[in-house]
Amino acid sequence: MNDLMWIDIIAYVLQFMLIAIAVVVVLQKNNSTIVLLVVAFSLVVSGLYVINHAPDVAIAEVAIGAAIIPLIYVISISRQREFIVLDRAMDDFIISNNDFTGIGYVLLKRFTDYYHLELNICNDPGLCSWEAGPDKVICEKTNVDLIVSRDEEKGVYQLKGKESSLLMTKLAQMAEDYDDIEVHTFTERGFGE
Amino acid sequence: MSRKIILVAALGILFVMFFLSMEEMEDLFKNDAKLYFFEHGLDDTGSSNLITAILLDYRLFDSLFEAGILLVAVFGVIWISRHDFEERNAHFMLDKYKTPELFVTLSRFVFPLLLMLGFFIILNGHLTPGGGFQGGAVVATAILLLYYINLERKTDISLIVAVVKFAYLGIVLTASISLITRGEIFTNFMAVDAPTMSKYIYIIALDILIGINVALCLWAIFTAFLKEGR
Repeated sequence: MNDLMWIDIIAYVLQFMLIAIAVVVVLQKNNSTIVLLVVAFSLVVSGLYVINHAPDVAIAEVAIGAAIIPLIYVISISRQREFIVLDRAMDDFIISNNDFTGIGYVLLKRFTDYYHLELNICNDPGLCSWEAGPDKVICEKTNVDLIVSRDEEKGVYQLKGKESSLLMTKLAQMAEDYDDIEVHTFTERGFGE
Repeated sequence: MSRKIILVAALGILFVMFFLSMEEMEDLFKNDAKLYFFEHGLDDTGSSNLITAILLDYRLFDSLFEAGILLVAVFGVIWISRHDFEERNAHFMLDKYKTPELFVTLSRFVFPLLLMLGFFIILNGHLTPGGGFQGGAVVATAILLLYYINLERKTDISLIVAVVKFAYLGIVLTASISLITRGEIFTNFMAVDAPTMSKYIYIIALDILIGINVALCLWAIFTAFLKEGR
């Protein structure tokens, strides 16, 4: 059996793999698995390009399809599934006894579990003591979804988020049971303003 | 379930059509353009890699608009994500998406090699497979790995866009020099009867500019996606 026939066999195997991967990508539900399958698809395609004497296209396919696109997808998927809360109260609302057992944490955890989101709480010192930033500006200029702060006069905790987010309606419903928690929303500027 | 069966059947039909069309592709291998490029490509452009010769000399007009489309895509992504103000990401107390240690260590090792491979592909566009676009994409991949090593990394997206604009202007101007030297726009600026060895100066210059353009465009798009989480 000479070399040429081996290359033909490899090409046919790669073509069948391509179709198999394409079908599995469509049927697959898990996002991370899909990203890995897309990478596999790109690698198989670039192998076929090399077999068909197109090394230039193969290099471009490997660089774009197997490196840049999965890197962008991984970032996008991880950002999409998280709910970022900025803790400006800095007391035992979220953390009590050095653990996440505060009343606010329990509420937010229940809320994010309801929507299958990942709860991500941050207390960035730069953001919390940002003089120029009222809550509305922080919400617009950073990737924070919800801001927790304490109103000393009324003695209640305030949860503030964007009015456009449908999640806030549900959060307001869930917070009705608690007396010392208020939910506020503010309107954002429109698209392209 | 029936939708899945229809889907698989449709893919099967596509597969059969693909194999049927393979028979007719034989005709494509008998065209004269290929023979012409094979015969005159090296003398006309000074590039042994005939793909680069076609992209940067014979069909430069197409390549200019390809680079332009990438630039327009960057403007679109930035316009949609509105990054005209000072950007910052919050510092996470609970980072559930921390990059695995193995990936970070491996990235630190791979980063210089990848950068070197990218520059090699750009600078040897006239000799080996690849060129400005491919090398630029590899360099962009190397730069993107830095974001996984250090997630806190800050980038000034407006500076990138400013440099990209000048790189694109450089491509158009380099391609237009031939209007003065040869009286013909969008081709090699060296004289027609110049030695082959000196003609590839033009190819290298254009490859470097296209490499800068592509690498920075992909970097800007990635940064816009990274900052987009609101």
